[in-house]
Amino acid sequence: MSKLENVLKKEPRRWIMNLVFAIAMILALIYSFSGSSINILRLQTVGIQFKLMLRGFSEINWNFLIGTGLYDFDEGIIYLALQTLSIAFTGTLIGSVLAIPFAFLSSKKIVGKFSKIGITLITFIRVFPEIILVLILVKGFGMTPLACVITIGLHSIGMLGKMFSEVIDNMDDGPIEALDAVGANTWQKIRYGIFPQIIPDLSSIALYRLDINVRSASILGIVGTTAGGFGAILSLAALFVDWRTLAAVLVVIVVLVLTVDAISSYLRRKLV
Amino acid sequence: MRKYTTSSGKVIIKPFNKIWIVLAVLIVLLVIFDQFIYSYQITLSEIGVILKKMFTPDTNDTWGDYFSYIFTLKDPLVLTLQMSFAGSLIGSVLAVPVAFMASSNIMKSKWIYVPVRTLLNLIRTIPAMVLVLIGVYFVGTGVLSGIIGLSLFSFGIMAKMLFEAIETVDMNPYEALESTGANKIQAFKYAVVPQIMPTYVSYLIYIFELNIRASAILGFVGVEGIGKSISDNIPANYDHVGAAVMLLFVLILTIQMLSTHLRGRLQ
Amino acid sequence: MIKFVNVSKTYLNGVEALKSINLEVNDGEFVAIIGLSGAGKSTLLRSINKMIEITSGQILIDDVDIASIKGKELRMMRRSIGMIFQSFNLVKKMSVFNNVLSGRVAYHPTYKTILGLFPKEDKLLALDSLDAMGILDKAFARADQLSGGQQQRVALARALTQKPKLILADEPVASLDPITTVQVMDDFAKVNKEYGITIITNMHHVDLALKYANRIIGVKDGIVMYDGPANGINDEMLVKIYGRSLKHDEVLGETDA
Repeated sequence: MSKLENVLKKEPRRWIMNLVFAIAMILALIYSFSGSSINILRLQTVGIQFKLMLRGFSEINWNFLIGTGLYDFDEGIIYLALQTLSIAFTGTLIGSVLAIPFAFLSSKKIVGKFSKIGITLITFIRVFPEIILVLILVKGFGMTPLACVITIGLHSIGMLGKMFSEVIDNMDDGPIEALDAVGANTWQKIRYGIFPQIIPDLSSIALYRLDINVRSASILGIVGTTAGGFGAILSLAALFVDWRTLAAVLVVIVVLVLTVDAISSYLRRKLV
Repeated sequence: MRKYTTSSGKVIIKPFNKIWIVLAVLIVLLVIFDQFIYSYQITLSEIGVILKKMFTPDTNDTWGDYFSYIFTLKDPLVLTLQMSFAGSLIGSVLAVPVAFMASSNIMKSKWIYVPVRTLLNLIRTIPAMVLVLIGVYFVGTGVLSGIIGLSLFSFGIMAKMLFEAIETVDMNPYEALESTGANKIQAFKYAVVPQIMPTYVSYLIYIFELNIRASAILGFVGVEGIGKSISDNIPANYDHVGAAVMLLFVLILTIQMLSTHLRGRLQ
Repeated sequence: MIKFVNVSKTYLNGVEALKSINLEVNDGEFVAIIGLSGAGKSTLLRSINKMIEITSGQILIDDVDIASIKGKELRMMRRSIGMIFQSFNLVKKMSVFNNVLSGRVAYHPTYKTILGLFPKEDKLLALDSLDAMGILDKAFARADQLSGGQQQRVALARALTQKPKLILADEPVASLDPITTVQVMDDFAKVNKEYGITIITNMHHVDLALKYANRIIGVKDGIVMYDGPANGINDEMLVKIYGRSLKHDEVLGETDA
């Protein structure tokens, strides 16, 4: 066999591997659907229901913007929106401040070998599902927005801690060396060498997290009507198949998230 | 603003430090937002109580009983895995063409990529839970509604991350291909896809992890899976809740570690 | 003022950077250390303010053995020694003024410096140092908005603000273009003559060293090959120090400065 044919022989193998892989994925996918039971009757009515939904969306319950006493809510959607924003903002702030010591403890530059402890702690915090955390905390803080705030605060430590520690690891060592040469002690080195370098980046990360937390805050309220935010009303509206209210809430959520998104992107650009 | 006069008589003005403005704004915002956050009573000891209820066996049970509950969770676990797998895969696959259209370096025309991105943003702002609720309404509380909801959720996240990644890719091979007469899609497949594949896979695993986490919340609206097992046991059997939470926790942690390991090997 | 007595330094990986060095530097001198990369210049310089610890021998500053100095005492010692780095080592996102002021931190209690409560004299001192370097107008600009030469002058101003008796400079002009190099070296000369501050600097541009320093120390493989006035160096001696004739990047050459 000529040299060229030898080389050509090696090619087809990858092609086969890709095909096998794709087939495996498809099989796995089909298997995934096996657990679901599709109610045939339901399917037939889907068309009608879809039309109902669209109609509900077009007749949005605008009254609810201010307050109608629906579902035991005294406040209107605008209030809920501001409440959600407050929960997200306060929670992010708390989380950012608390994340800083964790970040220092997880950074190889600061604590060297012991960074594994910090990293493990942060991973645990990050993995723990928010919804469970809020269930636990409502026992302590009542079925109130405060519980949501603390939940978001604590849960944010996970992601913020990790990203903060990356910032610290990527920081410039030079100024710290200079401060060493000047006779600064550890606190002074942190204040004049580390903080000025990392604060803009940390703020940018915190703003990004604020974005995510606004979405979380919207949902966490599902645990109870007085817990604040949209969660409760969303599930209630879904329960009663109240498309009109649901649509109203959705519109407000979308507006809220997009606004926070825009502000956060703008501020983050200015920070760089 | 402060004025300083040096020893040689020169005068210099120190400009206002912006950080005070930032701090002032933060404090004002905090005060305003505090109005919305209230609490009835703070009984911190209750937290200890519930933690104990969740993570220690019930009064008449042993640790064996406690952990054996986990074995009964085998079916919901499978359901959750199926849902998350299907949801992340479908969503991620659908995200590819959309990310393609949302990239400014491929779709040079603003008329295309700007509307696509706006639509994407809209889909992303709707919380996953709402998507699933709507799904539940149409197809019941089965796994299917979870798959639909999670697919949309994964789609939103993957599309955004993907187009951001596409925009950072080296465009030289792409341009070279275009110059040989290939159209955008062909150039994309042969020049961009190979570059972005490791990133795509690592995103895929990350989204899978996110989906599993989301399944905890989904349970609260009735979708079957571990999430439902958890919510069903509230408030009666907190020990079951605790055991299920531990299972979920271990599951996510495992995927987390797999993901980090794989990401390290892919880079 | 500074005495090295049989100083040796062996790094953990076995490299013998300094082998039984003996030398003396007097107050007010402008000393330049020359030699190949890796000859031990940086080690020699940094052992003076204990940024690097020697393995044997003694270093005496004003007849005080620095071996036993540590902790707070060490910081007190370092605050009267200024140090200039090749990469300037300023905090990029901080103002020039704050960078210079940070030279004074070791002179005040911790809590005051953390809160930024420097006395007025310190602030005026910082501004004076900037003025002496000719960049007073840049005082409140962000450090990374300045050119390389200006940044090094800020570093020099920071050193001056410490009111030091000695300034150590580790390849201070290696990152600068030829014209700026001369400007910064002129500043060093001014600091040495007008304020009487002792200067010890590493250089790899030999002709610059010969032009500005009044004393040269030539180092090769951790041993002092030459220790004497600048006009005592001839080509033969240079070959001894470098082990070969000079390469073109070790000579700055003519500039229209």
